[in-house]
Amino acid sequence: MHHVLVEQWSRGRSWLHRRDARAKLASLAVVLIAIGTIRIGAHVALAAYFALLLAATVAARLPVTSILLRAGTVLPFSGTFAVVSWLSGDPQRAIALVEKSYLSALAALILISTTPLPKLFAGLESLGVPRLINLVVQFLYRYLFVISEQAQHMRLASRCRGGGHGGFRAANQNRFQAAAGALAVLFARSYGRAEGVHRAMLARGFAGHFPLLAPARLSLADGGFFLSALAAAVLVRFVL
Amino acid sequence: MHIPDGFLATPVWASLDILALPCVGFLARRAQRETEETKLPLLGVMGAFVFAAQMINFPVGPGTSGHLVGGALLAATLGPAPAAIVMTAILALQALVFQDGGILSLGANVFNMAIAGVLAGYFPYRMLAGSSGASRGSRNLALFLGGFLSVLVSACLALIQLLLSGVAMPGGVLGLSLGLFVVSAALEGAITVAVVNAIDRLNPTWIKAPVRQPRRAFAWIGMTAMLLVVGGVLVASAAPDGIQSLANQTGIASQTQALLAAPLAEYQVRGLNSEWLRKAAAGLCGLILVYVSCIGLERLLRRRTAPGA
Repeated sequence: MHHVLVEQWSRGRSWLHRRDARAKLASLAVVLIAIGTIRIGAHVALAAYFALLLAATVAARLPVTSILLRAGTVLPFSGTFAVVSWLSGDPQRAIALVEKSYLSALAALILISTTPLPKLFAGLESLGVPRLINLVVQFLYRYLFVISEQAQHMRLASRCRGGGHGGFRAANQNRFQAAAGALAVLFARSYGRAEGVHRAMLARGFAGHFPLLAPARLSLADGGFFLSALAAAVLVRFVL
Repeated sequence: MHIPDGFLATPVWASLDILALPCVGFLARRAQRETEETKLPLLGVMGAFVFAAQMINFPVGPGTSGHLVGGALLAATLGPAPAAIVMTAILALQALVFQDGGILSLGANVFNMAIAGVLAGYFPYRMLAGSSGASRGSRNLALFLGGFLSVLVSACLALIQLLLSGVAMPGGVLGLSLGLFVVSAALEGAITVAVVNAIDRLNPTWIKAPVRQPRRAFAWIGMTAMLLVVGGVLVASAAPDGIQSLANQTGIASQTQALLAAPLAEYQVRGLNSEWLRKAAAGLCGLILVYVSCIGLERLLRRRTAPGA
């Protein structure tokens, strides 16, 4: 699974990794709003944000090239719209679309690669995200890879039985029905798994939230980090 | 279509974030009421199921295939409020962890896919398959319409938001993307019908038959609102050049440079100084009002009809 890499990165020990999730989330919000509201054509300011984010990546001892490449997953989408914008005579906007979406994705990626997910979700909850949604997101993430693996096994099994072949219309219809059946089976297995998970949780005394190994505390360094991020974002936004 | 950050104009993403927050809060409370604590892991695992379902390809024609999006399927199996929560969780995870869709534009994506998309998928089901004696044919029709509308409404809303933000799309591109949306919406409808029927064969209790309540009128209102959204985009695509040039001239985006300095209300007024844009924004606001009042009325009526509950 490609995502496992980010989880490995998030277990680093740098100064940025050790900051409280809430401070990092608030800083991310500030940076995203600053980037999101900047005027079209503010290339210098956007370059400054890029430099800041790059500095954060280096400071967190993250693999710079991989981070920069991974943030590019947004480019196919924004690139398509940029080409359309460019062709319809608005090249400035086209460039801005690519710049802004890439920088925003990079900022979010740096947060997620420096914050282990349990800490991130605990931070989100103490910032006021409804408990139900927070729990559902965490369950989703926990079982995402399990269910995906099951889906992959089913796909492989169907290929082994010859499911990927044929091309006539009748065969096509059969394959459509077979895919629907496969999804129904996956649904049934997920349903059963959810019931099993719930029983196991009850047996272990689940009290309504996932506990953290160490309670998160805001330190002076966290406050300092947020204030410096705020100052840098605002300074670049209004001076450059 | 997950809108990344940097695409939407500030008033668009800010107002949709502000709108989505109370909606999600309301849905979360309602989902918590509807699903017992025992079902809590179910919502998460169902989200993982929808994620994983993208790996199973449905053949469409030679060389092409599609996959399940899931809004209507979730609405038919879990009920509308839990389905909306599951979709919200999926979108939040995609934005936070997988960089698929922006964080500031999460409100817009949640509104398009988790709120409007799930409701659009649920309304036909509620109207046509409402009674327990509904025939198989009408249930299939309802499921197809649900899948079809949920994808089409989400896509049209995303297009409207992009156009309002001044992202230029010439008529040809708009027409082409609408055509693609209609095709993928029809595919989603067909997949929803096939999968729900297959689930029904495995265990009929997993399909939630909506109970008939005196709330059908609101379902009709909601349905009309959905159709208006789709109709609005179709009309817009008929005269896209006008929209595009207007959006470029008055583009909300280019005029909203000082978010941090001015309150939101001020620049909505300042930004919307063209007749057409004002109308479009008013239309969107009207639609949003219809949604909110639908939910409010529904709640009121529920309280009145079932004072004990």
